[in-house]
Amino acid sequence: MDEKDELTLSPPKKRSVRAATPNSPRVVMECVEILTPSKTRPRIIVQHPIPASPAARAHTLDSSSPTCPPPKTPPKRGRHLQRKAKIVSDMPQVLVLAETLQQAPESEFNCSAPAARQPKASLRRKGKTAWKLPTSAEELPHTLPVELEPCLQLQKHAIMRSLRDLPDIVAQDDHVSANATAYEQLSNLLRGTVLRGEGNSCLLIGPRGSGKSRLVEKAIKSLPEKPIIIRLSGHAQHNDRLAIREIAWQLAQQTGRSFLPSESNSPSDVIDPDENPFLDSSETTIVLPPPAHLLALISVIPTLPRPTIIILDGFDLFAAHARQSLLYCLLDTAQSCRVGSGTKGIAIVGVTTRVDTINLLEKRVKSRFSGRMLRTSCLSELQQWVELARSALTAPVSEDVPEEWPPLWRVAVDSFLQHEKVIEEFKESFSLTRDARTLCRILTTVVMNLTPALPYPSAEKLAASTGIQRCPARFPFLASLPYPAICLCIAAVHYQTSGHNTFTFEMLHEAFRDQVRTSQSAPVQIEGGGIGMMRCSREVLAGAFERLATQRVFTPVAAPSLGTAKEFVFYRLVPDRFELKRAVEAMGQTNLKKWFSKA
Amino acid sequence: MDPSHTALRTPGFGTSASLLSTLLASYPPPFISIYDPENPRLTASVVRNAVTNLQEGGSSGGTAKIHSAIVNAVACFTPRLFYDSVLNALAEWEPSWEDGCNNWSGLSTMPGQRFNENFDAFVHGLQAVKTYLEQASNETPKAASGKWKGKAKATSTNEGEVYRLVIVIERAERLKQSMPELLVPLTRLAELTQLDVTIILLSDLRWEEFRPPLGAAPDPFYIDIPLLSKSVPDTIDIVTSAFDHAAGASVSSSFTDPEAYSAVLRPLYSQFSATLFSICSPFIHNVHELMYLAAARWPGFIKPVLDAHRAYVQEMERLRVDRQSHEAEDSGAESRDDMQDHYEAGMLYLPSEDTRIRLIRHFTPSITIAVENLYPRLAHAAEWSRANMPPADLLTLAPGHMPGPSPPSAGPVNARDVRAFPRTSKFVLVAAFLASTNPAKTDLRMFGRGASERTRRVRRGVSPRKAKAGTGGAGIKIPQRLLGPLPFPLERLLAILGVLLEEHDAEVRPQAPEFAIPGEYTDMEISRVSVHAAIMELASMRLLTRASSADKVDATPTFKCGISYDVALQLARDLGILLNDLLWDSV
Ligand SMILES: Nc1ncnc2c1ncn2[C@@H]1O[C@H](COP(=O)(O)OP(=O)(O)O)[C@@H](O)[C@H]1O
Ligand SMILES: [Mg+2]
Repeated sequence: MDEKDELTLSPPKKRSVRAATPNSPRVVMECVEILTPSKTRPRIIVQHPIPASPAARAHTLDSSSPTCPPPKTPPKRGRHLQRKAKIVSDMPQVLVLAETLQQAPESEFNCSAPAARQPKASLRRKGKTAWKLPTSAEELPHTLPVELEPCLQLQKHAIMRSLRDLPDIVAQDDHVSANATAYEQLSNLLRGTVLRGEGNSCLLIGPRGSGKSRLVEKAIKSLPEKPIIIRLSGHAQHNDRLAIREIAWQLAQQTGRSFLPSESNSPSDVIDPDENPFLDSSETTIVLPPPAHLLALISVIPTLPRPTIIILDGFDLFAAHARQSLLYCLLDTAQSCRVGSGTKGIAIVGVTTRVDTINLLEKRVKSRFSGRMLRTSCLSELQQWVELARSALTAPVSEDVPEEWPPLWRVAVDSFLQHEKVIEEFKESFSLTRDARTLCRILTTVVMNLTPALPYPSAEKLAASTGIQRCPARFPFLASLPYPAICLCIAAVHYQTSGHNTFTFEMLHEAFRDQVRTSQSAPVQIEGGGIGMMRCSREVLAGAFERLATQRVFTPVAAPSLGTAKEFVFYRLVPDRFELKRAVEAMGQTNLKKWFSKA
Repeated sequence: MDPSHTALRTPGFGTSASLLSTLLASYPPPFISIYDPENPRLTASVVRNAVTNLQEGGSSGGTAKIHSAIVNAVACFTPRLFYDSVLNALAEWEPSWEDGCNNWSGLSTMPGQRFNENFDAFVHGLQAVKTYLEQASNETPKAASGKWKGKAKATSTNEGEVYRLVIVIERAERLKQSMPELLVPLTRLAELTQLDVTIILLSDLRWEEFRPPLGAAPDPFYIDIPLLSKSVPDTIDIVTSAFDHAAGASVSSSFTDPEAYSAVLRPLYSQFSATLFSICSPFIHNVHELMYLAAARWPGFIKPVLDAHRAYVQEMERLRVDRQSHEAEDSGAESRDDMQDHYEAGMLYLPSEDTRIRLIRHFTPSITIAVENLYPRLAHAAEWSRANMPPADLLTLAPGHMPGPSPPSAGPVNARDVRAFPRTSKFVLVAAFLASTNPAKTDLRMFGRGASERTRRVRRGVSPRKAKAGTGGAGIKIPQRLLGPLPFPLERLLAILGVLLEEHDAEVRPQAPEFAIPGEYTDMEISRVSVHAAIMELASMRLLTRASSADKVDATPTFKCGISYDVALQLARDLGILLNDLLWDSV
């Protein structure tokens, strides 16, 4: 089958393919040169959950049919237009087999394979080229030829999908990343629970966006048997009562039995029919079930027909619950779960960002915790970040595309990622945050803005989207504030320079009125047509003031008090002087600029 | 408002809308924050359209079936309201009066489930909605294509389909006050439900301003709506599009002429909106405000045209009747011509360029007045519109003789009401203003009678005004009347009141020979019950505000003055007091 062919297409073969085509035109050779992966480039494991999609399934049928030769067969000439570059999309199938790096390193796939096919692709089109295969950014067609427009659409789609579930990056050097270690430990632990019935507990600690949740999901997915999975989150279950109800509900969902404490046991659940529906009584009448009850439900868990994995996201938040009874019960059950006693295993996986979580546990809870702590870390080098971007941007298109598309796109992406400004931009982002999700967001906007007229990612697009996604401007509207509002801001700046950092509406109003008066009385001529500043009624100004306050350009200094009229409430100006200066200059009104410059 | 109406005419929002649609149709981030500081309502309608179009138009390009819920955080001010609105909208369930206005309660397999109890129940509700939607769409083709092969077909077509739930929350900044505990779990909804859920928060505040603390929520995918005020034609287009909406509306309000929104007048309306925009744009950037002003001004603006037209029609009618009676015996051909004429005259037509320019020139000042009165909502729009109707014969007048705009309505109502007060109350208010504005330690110098007159003059020489108006040196003093009233004890008020009465009231009092000592009469006056009653009454009207708590009996009550400088100045003038002479920081 295809897949085997695919796997054997390893670097040595690739060379033989190249050797077999000594007559290829120079252009083609150049193309190969550029696209051959450099030694330093990290390898990529692409793993996309493609088999679920109908397109992919349909495609499997296609590629096994005789009309599509296996990739290695030398293609016939002159059919290049009909022939689609299907091979690329075969990769996912191959790779799904490659479960993990640790378990099946030989099935690893590196990104040299797509490059290996290019000589063939160019061979096919030899002599009949509509346009030359690009070898560098300059040779890319400026706007997309019409027939390739659907490809761009498909490519965008593929990239979006891959951005949702980023592929793994494996560093080239032998140093094993923290996440890989954590993954191995976690899956061993879960295997112990699932296969041998162990009671386990561990903590997964790592910064935001370091792939903790992703790792847990991956570990669960790779388990040979399907356990009961209970997912709790400290963000949703604010107390033990909610958590225990949620456990009962999820158990019921997955086992088909009811574990909910019967309603008569908890009188707070009975809802009085004529109770005011707008009152949220549930928050005020929380009665924790008695600890005995908690234990009763949790101690049932090991007796269930299948092993159970309990994931506690936001573990530190659970530690803040009263008496930590839930944690105590869970960890106690896990600890006392003995192998071979006829019970099924239970695993407690705490997920948290707080490094000091262990110290939050009470002593009796801590002594029941296994103390196993796994750590994840964010990408540690810029190179990995760039490679992540590359693997997302070159996500294989899962449908038929004309054969010239993949190499064309690859050239576009390569030249994008080699661009000096792009690297600079990435470096800056990387030094601010290592959260891979930020990269995803940035790339998403870049990709969404690709159009047939401007089909390639570019440094400008990257800069624009970084501006929006990394740390968006707090007051992007300053330069287009209405006249009364900007006048109020300038007046506030004037007070600031004279040593009054807080101001009332009355103060600003007075300053504005004075300014209008002086500007109208002074016979100043600016560029021939100097008239004074526009008047503005007090009420309109007050409206502008309120709007600025709701937009947080002005923030109140103290909490609002009843006795103070609203024109005498003290406010502070939030944007700094330079932001405002820039805004006033951008507006280009001489009057305002003059007034501002006096401050 | 008809959503499809705004869909067609929101120029300036095209890119954002298509970005959102493409995102939602392909692989949307689980959490999106849309930010529009200028026209959040317009953005909301654009988003609403984009989402409903996706839902109705099915999957265009993407494989996902989209179901959406669009809720407003102002309307959903408790978690329960929020949960129910979202679930009802996703399941397309309308509570009906007949069956007791039940909320959507899931599939029949789980009766008695309440999805609005808490957040977990809501999550279960979302999961149930998804199952319900899947089943519902599996059943439809089954019914259509017969029983035997329906099942196989349904499963095969729906297998790869993704059910994507989209929840849009308008005015999302309100969540921070109304249900802060919901904010974090909402941003993590996809993770918590394990579903393909996208949550879109729409706000005129940046997410950073209302995000929960400690980084508990993940960062959203940001969509910044470009500022509409940067594109003048787009703004005018949108304002003008209100015309079509009003023309399409079947019920016109009572004060609008039914013909004011006839289609022939549209070019004039767009000219009118352009004028309105050029006058208002320095002050107002919000398109809805501009539309509001336009709607209030248009009936008056178009009235002369309609009047002239009606007069003309009447005239023609009269002529026709006249002529018919005169030439009843004439040939038929001529009368047919007449009919033609009449037919043309009966149609409303666009006024000539010259008339239009005259109209616009005439109404320009009144638009400025509209901004001052309607934008801060000092007047009711319909009321204002009626009060500012032009005279009937406006167009027949020569350009020079057109009447000017009606004078702006008098200032805040407050000032007029206050001036109708009894004399004692006026004195109390002026005294309170002085007490709240002057520092207590200057009282002796300001009001002590005797040699102090000169010291005050000296103080007045160094007025703080000069420093403020000029280049501004550090540490200038801000006059108290700008900083707000200071609280003062009742005794101080009475003492100042005494001085005022002695100086400005003593002469007009009826003779009272029993008071021999100077000032004794005034002392009597200020200890009258009526003065205390006046103070209490003013306090109840909040013209004096109590600064001390009312239930303390032992402490002397303290007050703050509640009237502005302008009002105080008016009152003082009425009483013959020179207020500025009595102020420590003179104006
Ligand atoms: N090492 C990594 N390789 C690839 N993608 C990653 C990696 N770490 C994080 N990501 C990306 O970041 C996203 C968020 O990860 P997640 O597991 O939710 O973070 P956490 O739970 O630690 O906050 C994932 O969906 C994934 O796309
Ligand atoms: Mg997580």
